[in-house]
Amino acid sequence: MLNPIRKQQYLQLMAERGWDLLLFYGDGWRKDLFRCLINVNFSGPQAVALLSRSGQIRALVTDPWDVEPVGAAIEDEPMLSLRLAEGLRAVLAAEARAIVAVNGLEQMEARFVRAVQEIAGAVPVSATADVEEIRRVKTAEEIEWIRRAAQLADRGYEHFVKVCEPGMTEFELVAEVESFVKAHGAEDNFMLVASGGTEVTGMKPPTARRFQPGDSVTTELTPQVNGYYAQICRTLVIGEPSAAQLQAYSIFAAAQQAAQTYLRPGVDISDVARVQNDVFRARGYGDYTGPQYTRVRGHNLGLYPDELPHVLENVHYICKQDMVLIAHPNTYLPLSGYMVFGDTLLVTAEGCVPLNDTPRKLFHS
Amino acid sequence: MKRGFIGWDTQQLPRAALEARLEELQRNIAGLGVQVLVAFSDVWRSNDVRYLSNYMPYWNRALTVIPSGETPILLCALSPRVYPWIRSVTLHETILPSPQLIAQLVRLCAERGWTRVGVLDHEGLPYELYRQLAAEKLEIVDVPRHLVRPKATEAEVAMHRHAARLARGVLEREVTGEALGLTDHELTGRLERALRRAGAEDLFVLVSGGYTPPLPACGTVLGAHSSVTLALEYCGHWVKLSRNVAGMTSPLPPGRGATVHLETLSRASGWEGIAEDDHEAGAVISLQVEIPADGKRLYYGDTCVREGGGLGVL
Repeated sequence: MLNPIRKQQYLQLMAERGWDLLLFYGDGWRKDLFRCLINVNFSGPQAVALLSRSGQIRALVTDPWDVEPVGAAIEDEPMLSLRLAEGLRAVLAAEARAIVAVNGLEQMEARFVRAVQEIAGAVPVSATADVEEIRRVKTAEEIEWIRRAAQLADRGYEHFVKVCEPGMTEFELVAEVESFVKAHGAEDNFMLVASGGTEVTGMKPPTARRFQPGDSVTTELTPQVNGYYAQICRTLVIGEPSAAQLQAYSIFAAAQQAAQTYLRPGVDISDVARVQNDVFRARGYGDYTGPQYTRVRGHNLGLYPDELPHVLENVHYICKQDMVLIAHPNTYLPLSGYMVFGDTLLVTAEGCVPLNDTPRKLFHS
Repeated sequence: MKRGFIGWDTQQLPRAALEARLEELQRNIAGLGVQVLVAFSDVWRSNDVRYLSNYMPYWNRALTVIPSGETPILLCALSPRVYPWIRSVTLHETILPSPQLIAQLVRLCAERGWTRVGVLDHEGLPYELYRQLAAEKLEIVDVPRHLVRPKATEAEVAMHRHAARLARGVLEREVTGEALGLTDHELTGRLERALRRAGAEDLFVLVSGGYTPPLPACGTVLGAHSSVTLALEYCGHWVKLSRNVAGMTSPLPPGRGATVHLETLSRASGWEGIAEDDHEAGAVISLQVEIPADGKRLYYGDTCVREGGGLGVL
């Protein structure tokens, strides 16, 4: 539950930057900012881990039910404070004039930053970008968790195909899939859906719309196992796919394959986006690769389902071995409406390998 | 992220009810002399804005801008492709694409001539936004959360009651002796299916095997000392309940040796949800009780409303 490799990396970072204390602030939305040191799925509104230069780890929790699991992870009793600002003042009481950095400073409520500032005498430094860079390259253990999450995504999508039928509502389908992945070990799941035809321009939370013959039913399914997310994107047609849907699918499949063929250590992530977009351009659909119709051509995965860098032509980042990301050329096309297709990819020494093994095809019910 | 059914049932929540809340808000902040109120929300801190416009961010951050006498304006980092859906479930008519929330807010203030801006729970802003706002030439006035949601209304209590009945019904069916021998993952899956099919927006299931507090499922087989805690959100209203799988606990109130854990689930109580000092009539309170038994711990709890001198189960 404590990530010892990361701990050493963070200590090295602290030495390089001259930080005395590194805080990891997680809240109900961004638990990953805490879990990247202490991998406990806390229940309270916030939790903070404190790493000292000496290597000592302490923790501050805001829910009584978090005391035991967090304590077990760090082999020390965490401080419990129902009011985080008061807890921060107490836990930092002996840190006057310490140089404090915070992973998650940007997400931290301003009152909590002020509490740190009052004790340390200065506004804490943001460690978020540095920690994010460390997290980007996964450890062997992390890759194994992501691999399990990808396997669960495959099984979850298999269930999706099995239960999806005409007349079912979008939210009933999500309930079925959510139930399946939770029953098989997912602790959380990021999932978007959409259904319909050429009028559908994007995905959103599920509505009460009922599936009809001819619909494209799209999903991003992203189960989380032991904190780590993997994603699969597929499209299913209710009934037999039309020629236009099949033509659209062929473009998405070629674009995803282009990214998978191109991705390796040393390539610029902007080019991973470009090779996908080039497939659309070559088929006359380049207009549909911009922000009016799509968000990103993929993103990194890990303790957060939408980790940076995003796969976009205007984002530059040199890919590294053991990064995990999804390439998904998801966008709107006038042929089919919004369509999705993508697999989780692990960057290896020579290239990349998909962690999903769901068939690469346009599914139909 | 929220992946349950987010809708707007205008029978349950008429447009006029939301408009009345906005009018009450304007009366409550009239003395502050602000030209506009700005409220932050994200996927986790969503309930104040939900109360005012029914906007529920399933993902990402947003600012809701509330000028006096106008429909609230949404500054939203989500794609314009989801705006039709947002308009279908909220009061919002004007939605401005805002990858940079503060920059968009500043532009809007300049266009409208707003210089004195109320910010709901100013110090509760994420530091990134707080710092950006501080660098702008706007006069910022903190608006405490209790001015937005002074006390739980009857309509809100009724929604909490509906959610509690929904959760209680599913727990009575699923958390029984028949669940003995299932893993906590399997039981969690059953609860997810039943409650999300019934319209739950969000759901958290925690399980104790009797040796720990309730925690996320970890693959443990359920025994007689296992207890399940359920936090359910229905149309923006949270409830929390706990039940022992074998029915070994008694209904409230707790007996001797029990530990009581209270949280406020209604109105503005701070995100911490602390309830020790919340004695206001009508407050909706989660009351979870840890009961020692046979060297182990059992859990029982429900969602209550504070009435007169005590708590009544919703």
